[in-house]
Amino acid sequence: MKIWKDFIKGLWEENPTFRLLIGMCPVLAVTNAAINGVAMGLATLFVLVCSSTIISLIKNLIPSKVRIPCYIVVIATFVTIADLVLAAYFPDIHAVLGLFVPLIVVNCLILGRAEAFASKNTVTRSFFDALGMGLGFTWALTFLSIIREVLGMGSIFGFRVLGEWFTPFLIFVLPPGAFITLGIIVGLMNTFTRKTA
Amino acid sequence: MRREYIRMVVVLMIISLFSGAVLAQTYKVTIPKINENALRKQEAAIIKVIPGAKSFKEVSKDGVTAFEGLDENGNKVGMAFIAKSGGFGGIITMMVGVDMEEKKLAGMTVLSHLETPGLGARIQEDWFQEQFKGKSFDDGFVVKEDVDAITGATISSTAVAKGVKDSLEKFLQVFGGEY
Repeated sequence: MKIWKDFIKGLWEENPTFRLLIGMCPVLAVTNAAINGVAMGLATLFVLVCSSTIISLIKNLIPSKVRIPCYIVVIATFVTIADLVLAAYFPDIHAVLGLFVPLIVVNCLILGRAEAFASKNTVTRSFFDALGMGLGFTWALTFLSIIREVLGMGSIFGFRVLGEWFTPFLIFVLPPGAFITLGIIVGLMNTFTRKTA
Repeated sequence: MRREYIRMVVVLMIISLFSGAVLAQTYKVTIPKINENALRKQEAAIIKVIPGAKSFKEVSKDGVTAFEGLDENGNKVGMAFIAKSGGFGGIITMMVGVDMEEKKLAGMTVLSHLETPGLGARIQEDWFQEQFKGKSFDDGFVVKEDVDAITGATISSTAVAKGVKDSLEKFLQVFGGEY
């Protein structure tokens, strides 16, 4: 039951993007097209799950004074793996995400879960915590990027869904669109949560 | 106290060694595929920057490598070469196509770059690359005069223009007399 709670909290209650508002840099930067949002979410999910599991596994061996460098080395390792694998098997996505993949290293969501959860809890709990948080991050990015792509380009995953009558609001695929969309979603979620609570 | 220091160093070292080993292995597995992707991208770029080219062959002279575009009958339709330039975030690699008879550029496309997404990375956009098409060999390639710069990315824009010009000069020194 505890494990289920660890897993489910990242999806809504403590959703990293919409509730905790951490890891904002990729959230704002890459969500201009649905495919980028999904790819960035999955890459982060992979790094988060692997690094949380490994850090939880070796937490008792790490002296507390050097824990942050140790975490960063572990995280950077998985980020580099993700970067190489994307470059080799998904070159198109790699070309679009470009510099944002190496920047997953400094996504505070990952270091945050390592410091706040994986370093204090069992391997199983850390795994499910990371999985929940990662999936929460992924759906948030996907949701945000679909809204922005529909409004900004009239398409979803590159397929045109709105007819010729629709004039795209270019601002939604530009940086201001990220802030506007995120603000409205967070506002709606807060209102909604308060009512049901 | 001393033992604590030693432990810190040893632990960090062991973790780093593991990390290095894992990455070396991943690199070994993925690098053939990554190189293959780069090669395919380069091939597509050559065909793109030489109008009418269906295939190409590599030519080397005096240590300079270029590509000769051929149409379906095997006739030369133009040449292409790789240009490199130091941009804002790293090296920018471009493929430049030239029309030797008209003495002008036939096309340009960016192969790889490390410029800032949303700013310098816009050197990949068509409108920016298209403006090099038709430029004469004697053009100055001066940004904001005969090449439009990208707003907020003057360094990247200048790097591309300068890279094209410098490589063009080097290319013409070696291959210029052939036509």
